[in-house]
Amino acid sequence: MPADPAATRVTAVLDGTHAAGTGGRLKINMGPQHPSTHGVLRLELELDGELVVSCRPIIGYLHTGIEKSMEARSWLHAIAMTDRLDYLNPLGNNLAFALAVERLFGCAVPERATVARVLLAELTRINSHLVWVGTNAMDVGALSVFLYAFRERELLLDLFEEMSGARMMTSFIRPGGLAADFPDGWFDRCRAVVDSLPARVDEYEALLTDNPLFKERMIGIGRLAQADAVRLGCSGPLLRASGVAHDLRKAHPYCGYEQYDFDVCTAIEGDCYARYRVRIAELRQSIDLCQQALDRMPDGPVRTADRKVMPPLRAEFQQSMEALIHHFKHYTEGLRPPAGDAYVPVESPRGELGFHVKSDGSGRPVRIRERAPSFANLQALPLLARGMLVADLVAIISTVDPVLGEVDR
Amino acid sequence: MSDAVRHQEPAAHERDGSSGWMLSRVQDWSRENSLWPVTFGLACCAIEMMATAAGRFDLARFGSELFRASPRQADLMIVSGRVSLKMAPVVREIHAQMPDPKWVIAMGDCAACGGIFNNYAVVQGVDRIVPVDVYVPGCPPRPEALIDAILKLQQRIGRRGGA
Amino acid sequence: MTALADDVMRDLPGVAVTADRDGIARLSVDRARWRELARWAQARGFERFLDLLAIDDPTVADRFELLLLVYSMTERCWLRLCTRTDAHVASLTDVYEAADWYEREVFDLFGVRFDGHPNLVRILLPDDYPSHPLRRDHPLGNEPVDFTVTREERDA
Repeated sequence: MPADPAATRVTAVLDGTHAAGTGGRLKINMGPQHPSTHGVLRLELELDGELVVSCRPIIGYLHTGIEKSMEARSWLHAIAMTDRLDYLNPLGNNLAFALAVERLFGCAVPERATVARVLLAELTRINSHLVWVGTNAMDVGALSVFLYAFRERELLLDLFEEMSGARMMTSFIRPGGLAADFPDGWFDRCRAVVDSLPARVDEYEALLTDNPLFKERMIGIGRLAQADAVRLGCSGPLLRASGVAHDLRKAHPYCGYEQYDFDVCTAIEGDCYARYRVRIAELRQSIDLCQQALDRMPDGPVRTADRKVMPPLRAEFQQSMEALIHHFKHYTEGLRPPAGDAYVPVESPRGELGFHVKSDGSGRPVRIRERAPSFANLQALPLLARGMLVADLVAIISTVDPVLGEVDR
Repeated sequence: MSDAVRHQEPAAHERDGSSGWMLSRVQDWSRENSLWPVTFGLACCAIEMMATAAGRFDLARFGSELFRASPRQADLMIVSGRVSLKMAPVVREIHAQMPDPKWVIAMGDCAACGGIFNNYAVVQGVDRIVPVDVYVPGCPPRPEALIDAILKLQQRIGRRGGA
Repeated sequence: MTALADDVMRDLPGVAVTADRDGIARLSVDRARWRELARWAQARGFERFLDLLAIDDPTVADRFELLLLVYSMTERCWLRLCTRTDAHVASLTDVYEAADWYEREVFDLFGVRFDGHPNLVRILLPDDYPSHPLRRDHPLGNEPVDFTVTREERDA
């Protein structure tokens, strides 16, 4: 039986033994304005027919100078800017920043705030994976899943709005605890939403997981070998779908994650379908983690008692002159973490997200740098794309799930 | 900057002839009720723009049935997100590629005035590059705010022929 | 941590092991031994490249502090490698391939040149951007914002 010419050509591209056909190679530009690049990502593609010979990502189209802006302001202002980095995971960014600053202060956070942080981080992970499921399905042609996923997302955004006033950029997790306590009845409404989600995820799976068209577009596409994933610093579902059971919530627990009951979701094939399965599993697992957090939510304060880190409540002004002074200094001068470097990463929906913060003891940050998981994940894209068809590129980019806000900062 | 001046047709009441006036009114009505945006999501505001197009807020009921990927098939550019230095020429080019009549909504604080990023990297308002018809404040603006902007734009088109 | 310190004392004479506030061990070397240190770390099991960042301090001669963050999957711990330079340092792309984009970013924003990098061009800013903005003595580039002070002034 003659060899399949398409497979032979793919092998030749991957080996590097491929010679340009009689038609020559086509250099094509994809992006930065493109419906399926998940943001302003530009790709320079070299194609032989429909086959991708090489793919060179060009980033920087969303460079905002956030790191410089944070240095120019105070530590408090920096909190608001962290929301806008990975804009699908705003509370997760807040959490990573808060943990790093708290490490510099060496201050403890009350139990209620710690459990609430887990709850909010997992709700944000659900939010991010819902956007991912919706946009990934839309990219490969299943347009209605987008509408269903965003329907669920609206329920969660309503919760965030009730709690903080803003749907997306809440800046709710701050060094020392939370910005405020939760409104009355919020936990009941949260539980109602979270309890309704597993049935919804079943709906998405019913539409996608065994759908032959979806499988055709995702299985065997964009394989990432385990060794490459580790070597290139990939993290998150991209790493776990290649068979590496590394999740910061298990390996280096923060916010009491060691007390929760959950598994690390992995797959071994390393292709787009494996990454889809890992994210769906994480979605279900986050729902379970939210329920566990709601079950164990204790009473108590949500702010640390350390007045250098968090301002006192306004009710204390009546009794204490010191409280008034602390409040004033906090909001005029900002935080003054002790000198030192700290990096405390969290597991964001995209991988290892951490802020390297350096303080010199004055109120102005010396350096706040975000270790963005999408920056490293996107570096692996040329490896994933080689030998694939142009039409598969969309599925590959989608399952790498870059957020250009954190790539370009 | 000559192509930044939009070559719009005169307002309905400025056109002569009663039959011409009726035709212009029909044209304006059809334009305002079928504003098709180009997919131009840049940053966080793009996610709220997607939420506006999704089920709860449903931009399609106001005429924006489809977001067109090609600027040549769109008549509305919703600049949703911060415009960086590298992206600025791209914004200009996409706007230039859109056929007349075209409109621009600056969605969010970053597109309107640079937002919280008053620094070397962000263009302080997309109106430095393209002419803007409606500014939507917010960081990010609520979907209702974006819908309000589109309704205001529709009123403007209907009233003055898009001028 | 003590096993690491022993190995450093044996293989890398003259390199001190310190710990930062986050508990991550830090090895600091001169610019001349940067590649040697990176190769040692990789051979020691820190094969996962995570981050490369620069911190600028214009008050000292070697103003740029470069911090490399690597991770060992077997020992489940991070390691921070540190050096200082005033202008250039050896590229680590042949040791850690993932350093490619990170070195380009440090070049773009700080102006540190990496000798031996295959493609040292800007990555985040436009190719013709004239300066390196994240240097501490580089201005923020902000514009003055006009505020109305009083209604009388505004209406006058």
